[in-house]
Amino acid sequence: MNSEVVLEVKNLKTHFISNKGTAKAVDGVDFVLKKGETLGIVGESGCGKSMTSLSILRLIPSPPGKIVDGQVLLNGKDLVTMSDEELRKIRGNRISMIFQEPMTSLNPVIPVGEQIAEALRLHQGLSKKQAWDKSVEMIGLVGIPSPEKRAKQEPFQLSGGMRQRIMIAMALACTPEVLIADEPTTALDVTIQAQILEIMKDLQRKIGMGIIFITHDLGVVAEMCDQVGVMYAGQIVEHRSAQDLFKNPLHPYTQGLIGSLPKLYEDQDELQTIEGTVPSPYDYPEGCRFAERCPFSTDICVQKQPILVQYDEDTKVRCWKYTDEWQNSLTRGVVIP
Amino acid sequence: MAVNTSIVNTTDLILARKKIKREKRKQFFSTIGQNKAAVVGGIIILLYISMTFLAPILAPYDPYAINLQDKLQSPSWAHWMGTDDKGRDILSRILYGSRLSLGVGFSSVFFGAFFGIILGLVAGYYGKWVDTIISRSLDVMLAFPGILLALAIISALGPSLINVTIAVGIFSIPLFARIVRGSTMEIKQLEYIDAIRTLGANDFIIIFRHIFPNILSPIIVQGSLRLATAILSAAGLSFLGLGAQPPSPEWGAMLSSGRDFIFSAPYMAIFPGLMISILVLGFNLFGDGLRDALDPKMKK
Amino acid sequence: MFLFMIKRLVQIVPVILGVTLVVFLIMQMVPGDSAVILAGEGASKETVEQLREDLGLNKPLYEQYFSYISNVVQGDLGNSLKNNQPVLDEILIRLPVTMELAFFSILITIVLGLIAGIISAVRPYSFSDIGVMVVALLGISLPSFWLGLLLMYVFSVKLQWLPVAGWDSLAHVILPAITLGAGGAAIVARMTRSSMLEVVGQDYIRTAKAKGLKEHVIIYKHALRNALIPVITVVGLQFGSLLGGTVLVESVFAINGLGRMIVDAIRTRDIPMVQGGVLVASLVFVFVNLLVDTMYKVFNKRIDLN
Repeated sequence: MNSEVVLEVKNLKTHFISNKGTAKAVDGVDFVLKKGETLGIVGESGCGKSMTSLSILRLIPSPPGKIVDGQVLLNGKDLVTMSDEELRKIRGNRISMIFQEPMTSLNPVIPVGEQIAEALRLHQGLSKKQAWDKSVEMIGLVGIPSPEKRAKQEPFQLSGGMRQRIMIAMALACTPEVLIADEPTTALDVTIQAQILEIMKDLQRKIGMGIIFITHDLGVVAEMCDQVGVMYAGQIVEHRSAQDLFKNPLHPYTQGLIGSLPKLYEDQDELQTIEGTVPSPYDYPEGCRFAERCPFSTDICVQKQPILVQYDEDTKVRCWKYTDEWQNSLTRGVVIP
Repeated sequence: MAVNTSIVNTTDLILARKKIKREKRKQFFSTIGQNKAAVVGGIIILLYISMTFLAPILAPYDPYAINLQDKLQSPSWAHWMGTDDKGRDILSRILYGSRLSLGVGFSSVFFGAFFGIILGLVAGYYGKWVDTIISRSLDVMLAFPGILLALAIISALGPSLINVTIAVGIFSIPLFARIVRGSTMEIKQLEYIDAIRTLGANDFIIIFRHIFPNILSPIIVQGSLRLATAILSAAGLSFLGLGAQPPSPEWGAMLSSGRDFIFSAPYMAIFPGLMISILVLGFNLFGDGLRDALDPKMKK
Repeated sequence: MFLFMIKRLVQIVPVILGVTLVVFLIMQMVPGDSAVILAGEGASKETVEQLREDLGLNKPLYEQYFSYISNVVQGDLGNSLKNNQPVLDEILIRLPVTMELAFFSILITIVLGLIAGIISAVRPYSFSDIGVMVVALLGISLPSFWLGLLLMYVFSVKLQWLPVAGWDSLAHVILPAITLGAGGAAIVARMTRSSMLEVVGQDYIRTAKAKGLKEHVIIYKHALRNALIPVITVVGLQFGSLLGGTVLVESVFAINGLGRMIVDAIRTRDIPMVQGGVLVASLVFVFVNLLVDTMYKVFNKRIDLN
């Protein structure tokens, strides 16, 4: 496997400051995306995964949102401190995005072909004619029949699935190094979902971009992703290969998530659930943010926040259970497992 | 037993509803208080209203006293706004004129609001063919551009300030009716109205005791904005010589006579116009602020 | 689209009938005997009776209304009481003047309103935004007839840049058109601003940003086109108050248009002339609204289905 790192996010913090207080939507996120790989970011709604994806290209609504700390390194160059103009040249060119709502994410009054072509003219300096031809080609590439005709149509003439394909075509037109897909299939029918995922995988093989796939659907993660970052309360709690994650989840939250999946071939009396609720981003507890809901929680979990530690070569986990302190506390007999 | 519980629940529902209403009202007034535009507008309106009462005390001269020796004097310490072509003190005339200009504005809006609210309530509450007939009639009234409907009415009734009031009032009816109709249709569908009906309230009680108080806020907003337009229209009609007749100190009429002296004595037209503008500005500010306070969605 | 036009045309028939009914009733609302009024002052009893017979004023009201409508359809709007000339002839002389004034005014409303609204929306809550919005608030608060007089005083009397009154050259058009268009421009500016601010929060604007487009492309190509759709309706409605406003502005600047004709007719109690003028102006408004509605439908179709 190619191990060249394309995008690295370090200690990213995006806060929303209003008169209600400061909501720490993204509060110290770290992950690494390698070339040609797909990294899934999973978590419940409200855990900050969408805000993380928007923060990468600095697309969070500001005010009230603000990136207060951290780095987003594209081939070592920091996007957070970059000038607007420099960043603009990266948006849609080297890093592209697909959004959750295909119905509202396309401009309703501009033909879809033009919406793809304008990025090509801008970033690749193509002529009007060249850009249009490339745009039609892209529309064909994402599996829309009679692309010449479709390119001239406006979004209202297209179905939801087709609009999302257009979004993909738009995102990939400039052959980006990174594609950020924020719940790209959530709003679509299941059959359309599968087609869209297939197209994304197919184009990834052709173009070789890295994908950051934001989703709450572990099924989609299993199908799409090489690596997975599990997010909880604004932080990554576990970061490892998808295979290992499903076989042997480390973090109690991940265990809970995977345990709550219905299993087709096993006899289950009832689905597991994770008790309790997610802490408010306005007021996180001092210790581990999952401690309140965690079946293994001890004193140290409540008192001190765990850090993301290296578990093995390509696994990181944010949990006291996998630290020396935990071993020590066990030997002192604080916890009887 | 079952019947009893249902009544208790309904009463609870109504009580809860009333409590919510109180809370909402409290919040409403504090929001208005925080809205600077609404406060400034409110102050302007209050100043004008007190002017109508204090005119006899404040006015330095008799607004009708002709004094040809002193005609067309520029503003001075003796005559702050100057004198007109008949030597009358413009400031005194403006102070007294406030009664006419505000009076016409308020009366015509009350007139329009009264009939508009009734039509809107009836159309919105009963729906079906009643609504169709009322709505189509309103469409016809709205098909007349701007003040032309008022002009048509005046042409029949003859020029006078009272006829201007009626004409401007009639042309306010459809605007109130449409807003009331929409809000009534919304409120009518709330569970709470059903609950009251099960308690045996008739249509009249439901409409006037329960629906009407709930749609008061949009009516007040519309009323304030409408007052702005009504004052402008009434002044315009008097300016055309179709309303207040000289020597009336109505501001539109004063402006009209000032027009003939725009070369030599521009202040004759400037001050009445300024008074109208500030008053209309006050109602617009107040109405805008009120709307923002009532409907944060509209605040952009 | 053709079907929509047909449907709307059918829908406005009752409105037009209603308008004619109201205009017809103006005559009935006049206190006193309409035959006496129509015959004019000092007419002999025989003349009055003859007129009553000729115009069918002794017939039931609904019959009079039907004959009124059939006359209107044939282009007969009655005769002026002043000179006994057909009302329509006078209107056909006056209407082009008013339409010319209305055209330039609506042009000012749209151009000025849009520019001001965009300036405001691009940097919300900045000084330029607040400044534009204050001016817009003044714009809807100033009486047009006063604004007209002030402009006339400054530009014609003091600076002597423009003619005082009349309707001979393009220079004559400038002040009346500004006077009449200013209020509408203020309303369009406010609407454009709020519409723009709403559009800027939409998902497709985020998409445009994610694409790396330049700010001016996002504003003018992606945001403005969508923001203009609700503004179309406002412009349509403004055309109504603008037509009504010609009455005042034509009086201020002594322009011999339809509005001034109506006012003069009211003064001389020339009721058929008033009826004709009001009817024609209203019909113009109804058809302009039809046009605007259709335009709105065309543009809005794309958004409706979302």
